[in-house]
Amino acid sequence: MMDDLIKLVRTYRLTAGLADRERLADAIFAEVEPAMRLFVEGKIRPQYSDDVLQEVLIAIIVSLPKFSGDDFMKWCRGVARHKIYDQYKDNLKTSERFEALPPEEITELIGLSVAATPLATGEGLDLDYAMKLLAESKPECVESLLRHYVDGLDYGEIAEEQSLNYDAARMKIGRCLETVRELVA
Amino acid sequence: MPRDTKQAEAALQKLGQRVRAGWAKKHPISERSRQTVRTTVREQWEIEQKAKRERIQSQKPPTKNKGKDKGRGQEPEV
Repeated sequence: MMDDLIKLVRTYRLTAGLADRERLADAIFAEVEPAMRLFVEGKIRPQYSDDVLQEVLIAIIVSLPKFSGDDFMKWCRGVARHKIYDQYKDNLKTSERFEALPPEEITELIGLSVAATPLATGEGLDLDYAMKLLAESKPECVESLLRHYVDGLDYGEIAEEQSLNYDAARMKIGRCLETVRELVA
Repeated sequence: MPRDTKQAEAALQKLGQRVRAGWAKKHPISERSRQTVRTTVREQWEIEQKAKRERIQSQKPPTKNKGKDKGRGQEPEV
């Protein structure tokens, strides 16, 4: 999935014709926009989040020639983070927040995914176990675990968001996981 | 049977993949976002085309015998 996205991005950058670029952009943003919406809605109050999302999409397209590397989604989150901080500076009302997806919404989203792609053998048990881990985690751990495993942020990005250094973020997630694993066992 | 840390991590990763996939189903790209993308792609393309035209213009060698055709079809300079 991610490899396909990188291929699309690289092709887009090499494409000169407008119609081809539009077609490629449609395919790229069909995948990128929902991920950025999930990311932005976790950081910006709902009444402002769609406007910020539009700014993020524009910034991604304008900055595309500068993209290098293999993780396009991470790069997009970096662009989004800058736009979100700009919003905080310009409008205090947007103020930073984190609202974890409620368990019932997680269950609903899993259901939607399973309707499109049925569960593999044993996957249902894994998902039940993961839900238990989240349910038993402390709130500050739920935030870190969701940011890491659901939003896909790596330790460096979590460190930046939580004003920690890389090792502290890595150890925090490791501790959260270890504690709740023992609890659920 | 209790699971080890790697299994716990793998389970959360699976959950993350499913949640992201479900989110994309529940929130496909909005019409507003689609228009934003289209408009910005077009604007960027136009900026590039303009820059390309200007680059070509600036690279054109200066015309020899400058002023040779001056005045052809025009009012003669006084």
